[in-house]
Amino acid sequence: MERQTGKVVVITGGASGIGLATAKLFASKGAIVIIADLDRAALDAAASIIDGDVDVLSCDVSRISDLQALRAHIEKKHGHVDVVFANAGSGRPGPFEATTEEDFDFTVDTNLKGTFFTVQTLLPLMRPGSSIILNTSIQSVKGFPGFTVYAATKAAIRSLARTLTAELGPKGIRTNAVAPGYINTDIRRKVGMSEEMIREDNHRLETEVPLKRLGSPALTAVGEPEEIAKAVLFLASEEADYISGIEIAVDGGTSQI
Amino acid sequence: MGKLDGKVAVVTGGASGIGLATAMLLAAESAKLVIVDFDQPALDAAVPIIGGDVTTFRCDVSKISDLKALGAVIGERHGRVDILFVNAGNVRPIPFEAVTESDFDFTVDVNLKGAFFTVHALLPLMQAGSSIILNTSIQSVKAFPGFSVYAATKAAIRSLARTLTAELGPKGIRTNAVAPGYIATEIRRKAGWTEEMIREDDLRIAAEVPIRRGGMPEDIAKAVLFLASDEADYISGVELTVDGGVAQI
Repeated sequence: MERQTGKVVVITGGASGIGLATAKLFASKGAIVIIADLDRAALDAAASIIDGDVDVLSCDVSRISDLQALRAHIEKKHGHVDVVFANAGSGRPGPFEATTEEDFDFTVDTNLKGTFFTVQTLLPLMRPGSSIILNTSIQSVKGFPGFTVYAATKAAIRSLARTLTAELGPKGIRTNAVAPGYINTDIRRKVGMSEEMIREDNHRLETEVPLKRLGSPALTAVGEPEEIAKAVLFLASEEADYISGIEIAVDGGTSQI
Repeated sequence: MGKLDGKVAVVTGGASGIGLATAMLLAAESAKLVIVDFDQPALDAAVPIIGGDVTTFRCDVSKISDLKALGAVIGERHGRVDILFVNAGNVRPIPFEAVTESDFDFTVDVNLKGAFFTVHALLPLMQAGSSIILNTSIQSVKAFPGFSVYAATKAAIRSLARTLTAELGPKGIRTNAVAPGYIATEIRRKAGWTEEMIREDDLRIAAEVPIRRGGMPEDIAKAVLFLASDEADYISGVELTVDGGVAQI
C-alpha cells in the first residue's frame, strides 16, 4: 500500500471530512492528489495543510460542465487518472411527508447524479489497472428516520459499483464502494440536522456500535475519517487487485448485526 | 520490521493453498506463525517455505480435544493469539438427494463445528485489539448445484462473523469473514482433474469473472492481511469478497 508514488488520485468533496483525510493519506504515500470541492475557503485551507503534491479545484459535481472542466484541467496537467474517490455528498434530512421536490432534487443531484457523472466524465482518462471507489454509507442497507432520499441515493450508488464492475471490469478497471458508519465529521451540521435528530443519532451511536476500541482514551465508538481513508487506500491499491463490485462497511460492526 | 511485528498469528489449514499463502504473507510482515493442519507431511514441508518463527501443530479441527491441546501448546509457546485465520475446510460436491448423513457430517464437522470451536478454544488467549478472520466463500450467497452442505456451512460461518462482532466487539476484538471466489489452488489436481480439464476450467472462469481472470491464493492472503492489521481498525462483522466481481453482478 506504500506504492502510490506518482499515482493521480482525484477526490471529490476532498476539502473536508472523509475526503480530506483520504487526500492527506494518499499524499503521504506519494500520490498526486487532486481535490475537487464546492467550498472555496475549505479548498484553500486544504491546499495549505496537506503535505505533498496537491492540486485544488472548485467544482459542483451536480453540474456536468464543472466536471468537464475538471477533466480538461487534469488531462492537460497529468494526462490520466489512476484513482477516483467519488466522495462528494450531501443531504437534507427530514420527515418523508415533509420532503419537497426541491429537497429530493438537491440530494439526488449531488449524491447520485453527481457521482454517476463524475465517474463517466473522468473515465476516458482511466487506463487498465485504475480503481474507482464510491462513498456510500451504512444507510445503503439501514433505515434511519429522516433519511429517505439520502439512503436511497446511497443504495443506488452501491448498485453502481456492481454494474460498473460488469461493464468496466473487462477493461481492467475495478469499482468498489466504501460504506462509513458513524464518523466524526461536520456532516451533521452541514446537512442541517435538527437538534432532535442529532440527539437520536447520538443515542444510536452509544447503543448500536458493537466495536469498542480499548487501550486508548482517544478512541470511542465513533469512527474517525482516517478509518475510512485507510479502507479507500486499500481498495485503490494492488492489495485489492482481485476485489471489485463490493461494498465494505467501515462502521465498527453497526450495520452487520 | 513488518507491520505485524510482535504479533502471533494462527492459521488453520495453513499447510497448503490459501492458508499457506496467508501464512507466508503474515510471516513476511514479521508475525510469528502457528500453522495448524490435518496433513503432517504438508506441515513439515511448509515450515521452510513460510520462513521466520513458525510452529506447526497437527490437528483435526473437528475434534474439540485436539483444539484444546492446540490452545495449550500456543499458551505455552507464545501466551497469546493476536490474529486467528480460521481457514480449514472440507468440500465434497454431491447432488442433494444423494447426500448421506456421513457426507453431511464430513463437511459440517470441519467447516462449521470446527470453525466454531477453533475460535472458542483460542479465545481465552485473545485480548483487545485482536482480529479473527473466518474463511467463507462466494458460496455463502450463491448457489452452485452439488454444494448444498458446503454452501450452508459457509453462510453459517458468515453469520458467525456478525454474532461474534456483537459479543466480542465490546471487548475490542474484531471478527470478519473473507469470501474467496474462484481461486486456483491445488484442490482440482488433488481431486484428480487432468491438466486439460484444469485448462478448460481456467478459460471458463476467466470468461465469467468481470476482471477476466481466476484468483490466486495470494489475492486472498492480501485481504486477510488487511483485515488482520491496524488498517482495518474500525471494520468488524463484514464479509470481504475477493472474487474479481463474479458474485457481485
